[in-house]
Amino acid sequence: MIENTLLYTYREQTGVWDEMFGQEGIRDHYKNFFCAIQNLSEEEMTHKDELAKKLFMSQGITFTVYSSGEGIEKIFPFDIIPRIIQNHEWMHVEQGIKQRLKALNIFLKDIYHQQFIIKDGIVPAKLIYSSPNFLREMCNVNVPFDIYTHIAGVDLIRDHDGEFYVLEDNLRTPSGVSYMLENRSISYRIFPDMLPKNNVRSVKNYPDLLLKNLLSLANRQSSEPTVVLLSPGIYNSAYFEHTTLARLMGIELVEGRDLVVDNHHVYMKTTKGLQQVDVIYRRVDDEFIDPLVFRPDSMLGVPGIYWAYRKGNVAIVNAMGNGVADDKAVYAYVPDMIRYYLNEEPILKTVPTYQLAYPENRKLVFENMHKMVIKRTNESGGYGMLIGNSATEEQMDAFKVAIEADPRSFIAQPIISLSSTPCYINGELQPRRVDLRPFALYGPDGVDIVPGGLTRVALREGSLVVNSSQGGGSKDTWVVA
Amino acid sequence: MLSRVADTIYWMARYMERTNGMLRVLKTNYISSQEELTDFSWRSVLYTYGGLPPDDITEIEEDSIKVMDYILLDRNNLLSVINNIIRSRECARAIQDHITREVWQCLNDYYHSIRNPDIAYLMRSGDPVSILDSLIQHSLFYNGTVDITMPRGEGFNYLNIGKLLERSIQTADILNIKLRELNYDSNDRLEAPALRYLLNSLSGYELYFKIYRGNFTLDNVLQLILYNTNYPHSILYCLQQLNSNFEKLSTESLPENYNRLEFLLGKAMNNVKYSNMRSTNGEVLQQFLVQTRKELIEIANSFNQFYFGNT
Repeated sequence: MIENTLLYTYREQTGVWDEMFGQEGIRDHYKNFFCAIQNLSEEEMTHKDELAKKLFMSQGITFTVYSSGEGIEKIFPFDIIPRIIQNHEWMHVEQGIKQRLKALNIFLKDIYHQQFIIKDGIVPAKLIYSSPNFLREMCNVNVPFDIYTHIAGVDLIRDHDGEFYVLEDNLRTPSGVSYMLENRSISYRIFPDMLPKNNVRSVKNYPDLLLKNLLSLANRQSSEPTVVLLSPGIYNSAYFEHTTLARLMGIELVEGRDLVVDNHHVYMKTTKGLQQVDVIYRRVDDEFIDPLVFRPDSMLGVPGIYWAYRKGNVAIVNAMGNGVADDKAVYAYVPDMIRYYLNEEPILKTVPTYQLAYPENRKLVFENMHKMVIKRTNESGGYGMLIGNSATEEQMDAFKVAIEADPRSFIAQPIISLSSTPCYINGELQPRRVDLRPFALYGPDGVDIVPGGLTRVALREGSLVVNSSQGGGSKDTWVVA
Repeated sequence: MLSRVADTIYWMARYMERTNGMLRVLKTNYISSQEELTDFSWRSVLYTYGGLPPDDITEIEEDSIKVMDYILLDRNNLLSVINNIIRSRECARAIQDHITREVWQCLNDYYHSIRNPDIAYLMRSGDPVSILDSLIQHSLFYNGTVDITMPRGEGFNYLNIGKLLERSIQTADILNIKLRELNYDSNDRLEAPALRYLLNSLSGYELYFKIYRGNFTLDNVLQLILYNTNYPHSILYCLQQLNSNFEKLSTESLPENYNRLEFLLGKAMNNVKYSNMRSTNGEVLQQFLVQTRKELIEIANSFNQFYFGNT
């Protein structure tokens, strides 16, 4: 299989599904792309790599790391080799995510209203009430069209058998969609003609779909409802995404200090006085959104916004309190939710999850810790995590102590290998592990998912952590029709 | 438009205009420091564009490279060019969805180029004029990009208001500094080179030549800098343009706020327009410049209060 210079060092990895190579060589859906690049010299490939970096920098597609008072511009590392998914695989994923979101959305409505799922003994009450993300303030709040999870970024991984597994449902304020859009626009530049030749399905209507959904949530009888994007401001690491989305949708980008609540209506302060706001796409976390109800020291939120929301005078996207549904311990019950609410079998598999609140699970996990990933239920970004096969004895012991002290806050899962895909590193193709985050939009007309999503890649050799805060990067994701 | 956005776009423009003005002053002063072999001092520049205590100023006032380094590239000098560019870009970042992508990229490039370590190296060991020229190029490019790409809406008007207000304040300041150096006295024999530098700092040298054929008198220079409405740096030109940009905001303003600003702008414009400053009476001239600057600051404060909601 290795006859090309690019592939001299491409090593097969046992027990890992490779996106490009099967047992018979290069997989069919990669052949087209590979033919096009196999004759490029190292200089040409390196030039493309550098061009991509330059484009990111000059277009300001960067995030700023503030240390010692000075902002340092960093680009989110981008690998030029796209990750390619076949259409039939995508259809399977799409169906699976739609089914999952439908169930999770009903779950949220149920858990904040009648709680049938608890009464019927499917999900233990203790699990829900012990979740720090269960907001009592959301009980009996009616949200427009009963939709909670307007925007979801579901993390998928592929195990060694090539099967997709759901790793996390991000239902709060998932980010990364702007990188999906920008990565595609960079692909156009570095690989001319390649997208149409490969029949790559387009992702560019994402902002249109999102805006359509946002507009439809407005309560006021108005032909032109005011939709705004609420950002924590320029010091937020995802600020680039906020401006990109606001620009692409043509809506106002606001900060907490631009909004004011009067008589349970939300207004923005303009040069012409106050203007009523109907829909808020917020990128501020629940706990910061209203200092009168949640964290009183929050400077990012709007005092009084919770009551305006509760009264139905403003729609907030995503709904507050979604964290209870993407809690890592509640995750284990999602297949049961699908069966309970939809009377269907789950289309996408989930990773077996041990809740460490149960003593028998703790015992099992402690005995097999080197084969497990231990995660804190309330952390993200790759933090608060222990990967058993690469952890030291001290780290394991430290985790054991922490788990015994607060078992509800931990879960354990068997280590899933994550599929690998070629990346252009140091002048050659090298395998690196990836996940996939498609973005699903839930509106009154149903769920839309643009084909593709963000492929995150662990750029460190052998690493399984794809988070950008931990040395991860991204790739363009092609769904080929 | 959001008050915060209007405020930010206005300051983005002010910082850029200030940068542009400072670069020209630095360039002219640097050239003059090289031409005049004796008695050149950066004192007034250091007072205007820095916050050094008097002792430190005395220490470096005759070292052109140190002064340039301090005013151009020193991050600890709050008024330095690099800090202005950084602030302008921070503003642009905060309102990215209200400016065009081209304007953002242009400011972003400007930011990356002034942070480039080569600039500091060339400044210390190469030719500072080429550095200043390359930075001025960026400023010109920015202005062109704004003009060609920005839609003519509210944002554009606030951008122009910031730019013109800053420019008029700069012109008043630079004029005042130079006149102070001349003791507001037109009989000084050394006046001609000083006036040349003044005109150069305000990009008015070529125009002056065309109009007055090299006949250097303080009266003529005052005429150009205060009253000539074909000269984009004259105070009257700036005020008239400011006013016309402001008038376009009438439908987007609360009537009572609009009236307040309209009054202040009209007053400042007419005070300049219907004056006739000559160099014969230095005291009156000095008072006039102080008064004009005061009125400009009052306009800025009123925008801040009535349009940007900063109380």
